[in-house]
Amino acid sequence: MEDATVSSPCRPERLQKLAVSDTGFVFDPQTGQSFTLNSTGLMSLNLLKKGTTVENTAACLAREYGVSVEVASSSLEAFLVQFGRYL
Amino acid sequence: MTIIARKTNWRFANVAVTGINARTENPGPGMAVARCIRECPEFRGRVIGLGYDALDAGLYARELCAASFLIPYPSLGEKALLARILQIHEQMGLDVIIPCLDAEIPNFNRIKPALAKLGIKMLIPSRDQFNLRAKDHLSAFCKSIDVNVPESKIVSDPSFFDTCEADGWQYPLVVKGIFYDAGIAYSPYDAKTIFGRLVSQWGYPALVQKMVYGDEFDLTAVGDGKGNLLAPLMMRKRALTDKGKAWAGVTVLDQGIEEMANKIVKALMWCGPLEVEVMKTDDGKIYLIEINPRFPSWIYLSHAAGRNLPVTVLKLLDNECNFDFPPAKTGKFFIRHAQELIVELIDFESVLITGSLAEIPERWIQEGSGYAEHV
Repeated sequence: MEDATVSSPCRPERLQKLAVSDTGFVFDPQTGQSFTLNSTGLMSLNLLKKGTTVENTAACLAREYGVSVEVASSSLEAFLVQFGRYL
Repeated sequence: MTIIARKTNWRFANVAVTGINARTENPGPGMAVARCIRECPEFRGRVIGLGYDALDAGLYARELCAASFLIPYPSLGEKALLARILQIHEQMGLDVIIPCLDAEIPNFNRIKPALAKLGIKMLIPSRDQFNLRAKDHLSAFCKSIDVNVPESKIVSDPSFFDTCEADGWQYPLVVKGIFYDAGIAYSPYDAKTIFGRLVSQWGYPALVQKMVYGDEFDLTAVGDGKGNLLAPLMMRKRALTDKGKAWAGVTVLDQGIEEMANKIVKALMWCGPLEVEVMKTDDGKIYLIEINPRFPSWIYLSHAAGRNLPVTVLKLLDNECNFDFPPAKTGKFFIRHAQELIVELIDFESVLITGSLAEIPERWIQEGSGYAEHV
């Protein structure tokens, strides 16, 4: 299993605790915060929760959505910074 | 009339609950406590509501309280309270009382030995425990056990608010009544207005506290009097009333808050229900705001989260508690709402004239509440 923290501002143990629904609804049982993710956010979070590295997550997103790895990486980084503020 | 001490299993107990007022902006916890007990499938006893005012909604909540009685206000002292409890005991045969309001705990403490002789049990903090967690002693207590608390100061002279900024007390500040209530002051004028209101209602002195910014969390649990924190349940406030009370919240699990509560209960050897109010800052620091010596008004959430704390009190009083509580369910929300309770004139009349609203005993016997076997 790879480490999801290499360049992620979200700690893996915090990600593991999140309750994530297929609809994109996310509940943080530690803070009581809830979030709604779009499909790319949901896919990213599910991959990171499984232990996929940020780099591999970006590669998966690029493949899935037909964009370059650079575009996917940049979007993923922005998402993680934003999400990390709440965790 | 002879009053006989009853010996009843908690499942068949007559449980009196106070604090059954239900003002929407700040309801007492009593009705939620009654609801927790009534909704426990094993409970076959009766809940008896004890109110202070004929407009306390719980007096008329027939689905919760089998009978209801008015009791004297705490300011009338313990003798008046004991006399009234004895009258109610003669009529109902009480087994347990769960006091749900801060101001009545000292009186109940004083009459505890007399009630114990009659077989009426209570799980409440001792006078020392009650005093140590009081607002005016909280800072010193927290320092002694290394718990963060916002800097606070006792204020008796309102002129303090004109010069406090020069001494490092920058606005906004929280001004608190000695027993209850608080307000946020953004200027000396605000502070003096709030101070005047609080001391006229709750007496001198008041407290001033530096603001801490963050998210508000509450923890409720039961202390067993031996230093153990039983069945802690945490809730994050999701929406507040004008008085800063939660009207929506969600159960959470935060190790830091639980550790703080453990420390408090261990240091005080706390006995009975409690609510620990904390503020968690963005950098993860947890500040203790208040310790309340009773269940919170959101206690029904404990039943929903799989840890029915009022029933835990009944079990503890009956020495039937295995301390093996299931994990509290996180993600359980509550949203408080107001509802009109329809009251028949004859019931209102009964409360006003006799101070009680009771069913006839034959009816309870028919309901198979377990009463018949014990009288």
